[in-house]
Amino acid sequence: MAVERKRQPKVCDYYQNDDQFSPGVAFCSGCTLELNLRFVSRVLGKDIIFVGTPSCSAPVLHGQNVGAWHRHGYYACTMTGVASSASGLTRYYEQAGIEATVVCHTGDGCAMDVGFQTLSGAAERNEKMIYICYDNEGYMNTGIQQSSATPFGASTSTTPSGTASQGKTTGSKNMPLVMAMHDIPYVATATLSHLEDYAKKLVKAKAIAKEGFAYLHVFCPCVVGWKIPVDSSVQVCRDAVRTNYFPLWEVEDGSYRITQPVKDPKPVGELTKTLGKFKHLRDEELAILQGQVDHRFKVLQALCAGTGEPQ
Amino acid sequence: MTVVLDKQRKVITGNGAAAYAAMLCRPDVVAAYPITPQSEVIEQLAKFHADGVLDCQYVTVEGENSAQNVVCAATMAGGRAFTATSSYGLVYMYDAMFQTAGFRAPVVMINVNREPPGIHAVCSGQQDMISVRDTGWVQLIVEDCQEILDTTIMAFRLAEDYDIQLPVIVNYDGYYLSFLAESVEIPGIEEVDRYLEVLKSQPPRSRLVPGEPLGCGSHGIGAGYVELRKKHMAAMERVKAKIDEIDQGFSEAFGRGHGGQIEEYRTEDADVVLVTSGSAVGTARTMIDAKREAGIKVGLVKLRLYRPFPVERLSQALEGKKAIGVLDRSICFGWDCGPLYMETLALTPRIGLVPMLSFIDGLANMDITQEHIGRMIDDIYGASTGRPYQEVTWLP
Repeated sequence: MAVERKRQPKVCDYYQNDDQFSPGVAFCSGCTLELNLRFVSRVLGKDIIFVGTPSCSAPVLHGQNVGAWHRHGYYACTMTGVASSASGLTRYYEQAGIEATVVCHTGDGCAMDVGFQTLSGAAERNEKMIYICYDNEGYMNTGIQQSSATPFGASTSTTPSGTASQGKTTGSKNMPLVMAMHDIPYVATATLSHLEDYAKKLVKAKAIAKEGFAYLHVFCPCVVGWKIPVDSSVQVCRDAVRTNYFPLWEVEDGSYRITQPVKDPKPVGELTKTLGKFKHLRDEELAILQGQVDHRFKVLQALCAGTGEPQ
Repeated sequence: MTVVLDKQRKVITGNGAAAYAAMLCRPDVVAAYPITPQSEVIEQLAKFHADGVLDCQYVTVEGENSAQNVVCAATMAGGRAFTATSSYGLVYMYDAMFQTAGFRAPVVMINVNREPPGIHAVCSGQQDMISVRDTGWVQLIVEDCQEILDTTIMAFRLAEDYDIQLPVIVNYDGYYLSFLAESVEIPGIEEVDRYLEVLKSQPPRSRLVPGEPLGCGSHGIGAGYVELRKKHMAAMERVKAKIDEIDQGFSEAFGRGHGGQIEEYRTEDADVVLVTSGSAVGTARTMIDAKREAGIKVGLVKLRLYRPFPVERLSQALEGKKAIGVLDRSICFGWDCGPLYMETLALTPRIGLVPMLSFIDGLANMDITQEHIGRMIDDIYGASTGRPYQEVTWLP
């Protein structure tokens, strides 16, 4: 007897339209950024306007190779001008009564370093937009230099490991939490190993951006910069979640929630051992990194316990 | 206090005049960040907004760089946008100003001239406007409160003109004009609507709106880039004739004009000429009259358009003169003279070799007095009679 089984929702159920990006776009093999852009575009719909800046996404978004491009409206500006340019667009649309979803799409260097002031300002003004930071933990487009997203111990071109150095000496900025502390309506973390979780967050962000600021922090491994095999990037995303290195959570109207709780998280070494940028790490550095991961997760748990549903 | 939107005469400051003009042009988006001596402009606009007189999006940004990006994007989306700044605020916009100009975004910006060097002179001086010379913006500089108001209105007409589509800065001297209260004739808002009406009948600019994919700031590598730079340059050249035409149209609509690119005063029969700009012009005019009475045939050119440089009209005004002096309120490194002097000197192939004198005065709120200008005219006149002269003179 055939059993009628309830159909499980699939990621593609969230798609609004065909892929707006052509094949053959100029990303490295195995780049999560390409998957991220195509996914964001499909879930948020074809009428969104991207705002971006010189970065890894620029060769595709700006149309450096116009033979392989996309069909979205796009505004390219300086590294310091993303959230402010997006404010200019959304404010005019509001004044003119034009309905629009404006999506800032920048790397961690723009969001967390050089463009941070303007991002913080737009968040404080609660501008009606979505800001997606694709976090590949460094300035990958300019040649893998350290950014304030680069984790402790990572070897980059400006914090190389060597006989007298074990890579970056300080940890990364806890950016999603920094944004959450702006008391904006919505902040979430997402990554490409958990697409349904990501899709739900994008849908929520799109609805919330009609009224205010939505920030998404997306973990996007860089195959070149992190020195990983081209077929491993989604697995790295999954490992980052399973080790609590990059927990998936959201805060909506001040209420924190871990959206993908991890039972028995693995030690962070399970993640770092697969990444070339950490291969020089000794046990003592690894212990420091583990300490930072644990501390951040405790803070997150406390925020969840203090504001949202019990975990 | 109720804001009157009919034609009126009122005593207002230079900053007030700028704010009134901006409000009368009905910008869709105003983005601004405070800085002395400009703050009054954006405070006045905030009050207009709060009182419901100005229906716009007023964006209280966290810095001038963001202000410039907001107004640039708002105009690329199809709106009219305004911002105001000064000194360090202007140079903090530097990268964004290249973008606005490169996008051919018709932003109108007030820059209240103030010294920006690290010596922290919170004082008048024109070094700020000089330092953004090559960003690709049109730059005007004006003399008094009435001209601030009129030129700001004309700036919207110019920036958004289909043949131009360039951002425009209206400069005026901080302190001397920003806080100077004068009687100003303020046009009625409907008069200004009628004056700007012509822009609506021009072909629409391309704009970024949802559902109509357009790339703003897409990559332009190689020939594409060169083509756009050449077009930008050509638009800049068109500004010269256009500003004369717009000034003429303004004069017909409102009963007063300001000369377009330059304004000449008693130059026709003059043997020698002083060239200057901004608030010093009033003092200079007084001294031209005084020296004329003393028998020196001296004339004055007031420079209104700084970028593009009014090469043709200025050459015409200076051609055949026996000596020329240029008064600068800023300095030009590398040439050891004033920047307007350096540019005037470049007219030599057109006007012939005559003694030219550079005067640097009025830095950091040092008053450009009648006595100073009298000395300048004496020096220029002396040089015209063959007396030895010093090329560059710093006053006082």
